[in-house]
Amino acid sequence: MSKKTGVIFFPAFDWAISPTHPEREERLLYTRDQMFEEGILDLPEIQQYAPRMASKHDIARVHFCVPNVEEQVLDAHRIAAGAAIDLGDRVMAGEIANGFALVRPPGHHAMRVVHGNRGFCNINNEAVLVEYLRKTYGVKKIAIVDTDVHHGDGTQDIFYHDPDVLFISFHQDGRTIYPGTGFTYELGGPGAYASTINIPLPPGVTDSGLHYVMDHLILPILKDFQPDFVVNSAGQDNHFTDPLGRMKITAQGYARLTEKLKPNLAVLEGGYAIETALPYVNLAILLALAGKDYTSVVEPEYNPAKFKESPKVTSEIGRVVEELQEIWAKRHQFDKYTLAKGTGFYQRTKPIFYDTHYIEEKQIEKVRVCDQCSGFISLDSQAYHPNGKHYRICAISIPFQSCKSCQAEAWESYEQAKGDPHFDYIYLQDKSTDTFMIYQRLGNREIRSDG
Amino acid sequence: MLIGIDVGGTCTDAVLLDGGAVCATAKVETQDDLLISLGDALDNLLKGIPSHKIERVVFSTTLVTNLIAEKKYDPVGVVIMPGPGRTFSDLRDQDDVFCLNGAIDYRGREIIPLQPSQMEEVLAWLEAKGYNKVAVIGKFSTRNNSHEVKVADFINKHHPDWQVEMGHRAGGKLNFPRRIANTVLTCATRQKYRYFTKAVRDAMARRNITATVFILKADGGTLPLSASEEVPVETIFSGPAASTLGVQALTPPGETSLVVDIGGTTTDLALVLSGNPLLASKGAKIGERYTQVRALAVHSVPVGGDSVVERVGKEFIIYSERMGPAYCLGGPMPTPTDALRVMGISQIGDEDRAHEAMTILGAPLGMGVREVAQAIVNLVIDMVVVEIERMYMEWEQEPAYRVWEVIQKCKVRPQNVVGVGGGAAGFVPQIAARLGCTPILPPHAPVANAIGAAVARPTLQVNLMADTERQIYIVEEEGYQGQLAGKLDELSAVELTKSWLLKRAEKMNLRSYVDEIEIINQDVFNVVRDWQTTGRLFHISVQTPRGILAHIGTGGRFLP
Ligand SMILES: [Zn+2]
Ligand SMILES: [Zn+2]
Repeated sequence: MSKKTGVIFFPAFDWAISPTHPEREERLLYTRDQMFEEGILDLPEIQQYAPRMASKHDIARVHFCVPNVEEQVLDAHRIAAGAAIDLGDRVMAGEIANGFALVRPPGHHAMRVVHGNRGFCNINNEAVLVEYLRKTYGVKKIAIVDTDVHHGDGTQDIFYHDPDVLFISFHQDGRTIYPGTGFTYELGGPGAYASTINIPLPPGVTDSGLHYVMDHLILPILKDFQPDFVVNSAGQDNHFTDPLGRMKITAQGYARLTEKLKPNLAVLEGGYAIETALPYVNLAILLALAGKDYTSVVEPEYNPAKFKESPKVTSEIGRVVEELQEIWAKRHQFDKYTLAKGTGFYQRTKPIFYDTHYIEEKQIEKVRVCDQCSGFISLDSQAYHPNGKHYRICAISIPFQSCKSCQAEAWESYEQAKGDPHFDYIYLQDKSTDTFMIYQRLGNREIRSDG
Repeated sequence: MLIGIDVGGTCTDAVLLDGGAVCATAKVETQDDLLISLGDALDNLLKGIPSHKIERVVFSTTLVTNLIAEKKYDPVGVVIMPGPGRTFSDLRDQDDVFCLNGAIDYRGREIIPLQPSQMEEVLAWLEAKGYNKVAVIGKFSTRNNSHEVKVADFINKHHPDWQVEMGHRAGGKLNFPRRIANTVLTCATRQKYRYFTKAVRDAMARRNITATVFILKADGGTLPLSASEEVPVETIFSGPAASTLGVQALTPPGETSLVVDIGGTTTDLALVLSGNPLLASKGAKIGERYTQVRALAVHSVPVGGDSVVERVGKEFIIYSERMGPAYCLGGPMPTPTDALRVMGISQIGDEDRAHEAMTILGAPLGMGVREVAQAIVNLVIDMVVVEIERMYMEWEQEPAYRVWEVIQKCKVRPQNVVGVGGGAAGFVPQIAARLGCTPILPPHAPVANAIGAAVARPTLQVNLMADTERQIYIVEEEGYQGQLAGKLDELSAVELTKSWLLKRAEKMNLRSYVDEIEIINQDVFNVVRDWQTTGRLFHISVQTPRGILAHIGTGGRFLP
């Protein structure tokens, strides 16, 4: 028999942000009922595994949690990320053909710096997985395709300057939905131009429109990029019954997408139509991953007559696809110094709003423009936390395949920042050696963690 | 006094227990007519014991297992209502299936009504095919059985003499394919099982035994004989449960033990975790199909004392089949039993022939007899140990759905390796040594399975699901669907569930066994509409504690 599809189903029935929050215990309840009743976990093509916890170091490899991992990350988050890691290991070992981490809480709005919960996310499950795969197996090129109705702004932030991680997100246009980002001009930093591809779509897209995008844009780009590993950030709020999104995708549409995308790993993101969408969409995706017939997975509410896409929507989709096709075709015509306007450092200022905790973060991001590597990143971030405390931190990140001079310069910056009284905490993340440092000014304490 | 009888494939074992002491044991060959063996075993036990002293009799029987294995049952027409979801094409290959339109969803709401015109069609199909046994199963029928009831009533109205079984009565848990298997097997075996229960009653009456008779289930619990007629499939695979419970009774309470039952051609492994046998996470499997029958986790390794050993090139290979008895007992081929004889670990059979067997294997390689014997024993141990490790890994991979479950899960390794069965003395000490455990060969090991049956407790479980938004509740085991009377909070939901357990115990005449009720699951989910909580879903499961009625003796002989 060919290899199986691995599943980790972790509904976290004992964890929620708050009792009536859309991201609550009940979210995967009906999915569980439908999956169990279908007997899907008994199928010889599907193998279920127990979740495990991501280590604090696995998280520190990706995020700068302020003030530390313990303050921002609960057991539930570590289990969700750990599930993705566990399935990643099994795919790499050749034990399973592909996998689905059907987990909550979700993660794709969690950015590199974490002051609190953003869009129901604290840590980015996909990013934790990707950095783990690179460190453990040296996987070079990874593609993340985000199919959530919301822009995967957290994942974009983390890999914005990383030319080896292709991030493609289609979503409902940011002018009409949280988090208000994800436009076609957000294409990645100078050293990673067009390794971020955003496909903002008008509300009202149906399966046919979505598959137009798949066939004419996403699949051709993936074919060019030739990733060694494909992660699907599998949000299901594009569903026609979702209370947060205004798209019209069906379970069949999602299943066919999965069949075309052939992700090595799908990780559940959003999806808040917990009765009308999730049981059917999750089932259809799982069947599609396992190569089983999903054609009878049809939502009770589905009425084909109501699913004609408006011509206006169709033509807008065509326009966005065409624009991005052109950008992709010309991506090699730009050189990183031109993109960085001739300077040695590329800099941007980012105001970041945490909708769950009403935190406003001010962040300045600087990236060294380097010939040898994608350049080290330094961040100056400050925010008031809900407890009234103000934190200003400096965070430095050395890329996975960094050059010697970037590495040396980054460590030097870390040492310098330790002498700067403006910063309460100084972090250094050296992905090339898998080392993580925290310096806490109060009490002059320094902690080091090695993978 | 308690009687336990295990009707196995080759032997019928019986014990008579008084408190923690074994008063009598019997071992007779199992006849084609099970009742002759039962009668023989009973008569052997009861010599000089007045029948009124017997308080309880528990049987473990392979009857239904064999009926199913040998397909000795009437064909069953299968009518399913699969609704939206999987296509179940694989299922249609295995059974003759008629699909009806009509669907219920996960909360028990009708989403597609039954199509009345199809009722006539299904009837015509059943008649044309000549079925008079019919299984009717709907997806989510345990949450709302109205479709099943309607179809079954319709069929019965036209054919009152037909046997029609409904899914929600045959298996109460979520899992449509497993529920189909349960319903079909219940339908197929009930009639034959009734002959058996009737004959058991006759055998008891003829010996003036008025004690309650129980049947052992695959999960190590017991069912009163009469109740078991409703669910004959529950009696499958009770053999391994019997020996596991036996080991539990013969070892100190609360310990973690690996049970190794070494037979002629198979070795069964089971796990007792802190005094409780581990249940399989999936139901018992028949052929390639899972059922909803709860069973202990038992792993079979295809190797035993009578497995055939051959030399291939420079290696010895153990085959899983049996070609007759061991060479030292007059058989045609060398076996692990011969190796044990040569090693001086066992005294079974002729020593010279055992040496001859080793010589046949070893001479072409220039190996001495002891060397060959050691190699064979090692091979057997390797096979068993590999399977033990796999079993632990599988156990560690059992899913967890709550944060606390993941956190508390830790690596557990056994303290003891407890051996029962023919080859136990030969292999268990070395298996234990390999695993760093204490080897135990308990007294009465040859009848451990009968002891297990004798001490098994009746187990009762009730799963309740209440939905306050819809003001309904269901009790899975009873196939009950009712209205909630007013408000329900978590506490009253638990109380309601417990009251159903007591009712069930009363009905089965088991009230005296229920002095404590355990809550094994208690989930509450808010139903939220537009950011408002509009209701609550309660999932409550309670049971009488699992366990055994008595521990026997001092808990086994520790080997040097
Ligand atoms: Zn979303
Ligand atoms: Zn560099």
